[in-house]
Amino acid sequence: MAEIIVVTSGKGGVGKTTSSAAIGTGLALRGHKTVLVDFDVGLRNLDLIMGCERRVVFDLVNVINQEATLNQALIKDKRTEGLFILPASQTRDKDALTVEGVERVLNELSEMFDYIVCDSPAGIEKGAQLALYFADTAIVVTNPEVSSVRDSDRILGVLQSKSRKAEQGGSIREHLLLTRYNPARVQAGEMLSVDDVKDILAIPLLGVIPESEAVLKASNQGQPVVLDKDSDAGQAYLDAIARFLGEEREHRFLDVQRKGLLSRVFGRKG
Amino acid sequence: MTSENRSTDTPLFRFKNSRVSLNELILLDFDAERLRIELEQHSARLPSLFQQMPVLLNLDQIPAERPLPPLQELLEICRGSQLNPIGVKGNERYDAELCRSLGLADFGQTTRGELARSAAQDTAVSEPTPVADKTVEPAAAEGNRTRILTTPVRSGQQVYVQGGDLIVLSSVGAGAEVMADGNIHVYGPLRGRAMAGVNGNTDARIFCQSLEAELISIAGYFKASEDLQSDHWQKPAQAWLSGTRLDTAAL
Repeated sequence: MAEIIVVTSGKGGVGKTTSSAAIGTGLALRGHKTVLVDFDVGLRNLDLIMGCERRVVFDLVNVINQEATLNQALIKDKRTEGLFILPASQTRDKDALTVEGVERVLNELSEMFDYIVCDSPAGIEKGAQLALYFADTAIVVTNPEVSSVRDSDRILGVLQSKSRKAEQGGSIREHLLLTRYNPARVQAGEMLSVDDVKDILAIPLLGVIPESEAVLKASNQGQPVVLDKDSDAGQAYLDAIARFLGEEREHRFLDVQRKGLLSRVFGRKG
Repeated sequence: MTSENRSTDTPLFRFKNSRVSLNELILLDFDAERLRIELEQHSARLPSLFQQMPVLLNLDQIPAERPLPPLQELLEICRGSQLNPIGVKGNERYDAELCRSLGLADFGQTTRGELARSAAQDTAVSEPTPVADKTVEPAAAEGNRTRILTTPVRSGQQVYVQGGDLIVLSSVGAGAEVMADGNIHVYGPLRGRAMAGVNGNTDARIFCQSLEAELISIAGYFKASEDLQSDHWQKPAQAWLSGTRLDTAAL
């Protein structure tokens, strides 16, 4: 029986797909059989981030409509053992998803995998609700910025009321993932601090991902950022995954990095 | 995900405090023959009403010097007239054991107000239930009904307590709305909207651990965030109504 993780945020552009790709890859690197499911029907992106866009033949909607089998639609990742991608359809919209269809696909996937990572679309409408409906665990991706934090608060309310767990009287496990964190701008008062965000959302902090050039580079290369093990963002994601799996890890990249004399002389490196 | 999984994960039942409107058959005196005839006349006039209508047998009005009707016989008369007695109320001369043996609930001499109050206390203890997106908690008409929330009220959520106080042990997020006919207590930051005394109760108050509200209102008189930027901002504070002015003070 797989654990179903939804990566959600309410707001768009905060790093849901980047985080889904990083977390899915990270879980597979740790030896867990993992599938990444793109729920953003109509705005398919996960395959690009994972660098498998040229291999998409069938998609989630095809499987829901029983036009293809799951094995036909699943794309095996070439870099990471035990990682699969189920892409979204680009030509359809969110109405193509049904509760029964999604449940059937997730049931089938949960026989085959340890973790199912669902990349939610932005918003709080049907697509986002279906992505989170069957979840056991939610990773709420938030930027240190007021509108993103408020939308995350909203999606936490939706998780508490519109998920299957909530309808059955239980609750979804909630984690906060703070992305695009820039300590220098926090110090300058241009960004909310980790403590501000934790104070408002009041859920456990899974990780803080620093704003990093490595993320954009990784996206454009179609390679999840965790594979760039020397990058700060990659390391921060690996820490977050370790915490997700129950390990104790200290939070890093929260303070402004002081430049040493040598690096000031020779310019920035790495 | 499988049906067997579902059955162990979730309870098979839950209790809910409910109020149904119920008719009482108030006996003024007892005469088996007359009662049978009068009930039948009633039944003939309003046949639709008498189809197994549940009733409470109220024996309050029978004078103390008159003997009590034999319960068994009274039941048979009622059932013969298509009435369905579910309980006995209002005479302590009855043996509670007898009621039980006849399958009747003993409502004793408890007034409705007391019943409602004890029921409200029961539900208050049996928190924490997840907050729905829009929660309207109907309360007993009489009797104060308090609701306690242990989890944060999130942006976009609305909570309304009818006929009682609302106590939030956590925060009320920006974009959330909490409303109560009575007082509102927030033992965390109040960042959303709080409306107390929404049914027009001008004595209602709002208490919070940190006043950061978008809007507070008592009985329709309100102040928006802009007008709340006083010394009490982000401090423990209370708000009340003096005349038509909404006042705030440090706690």
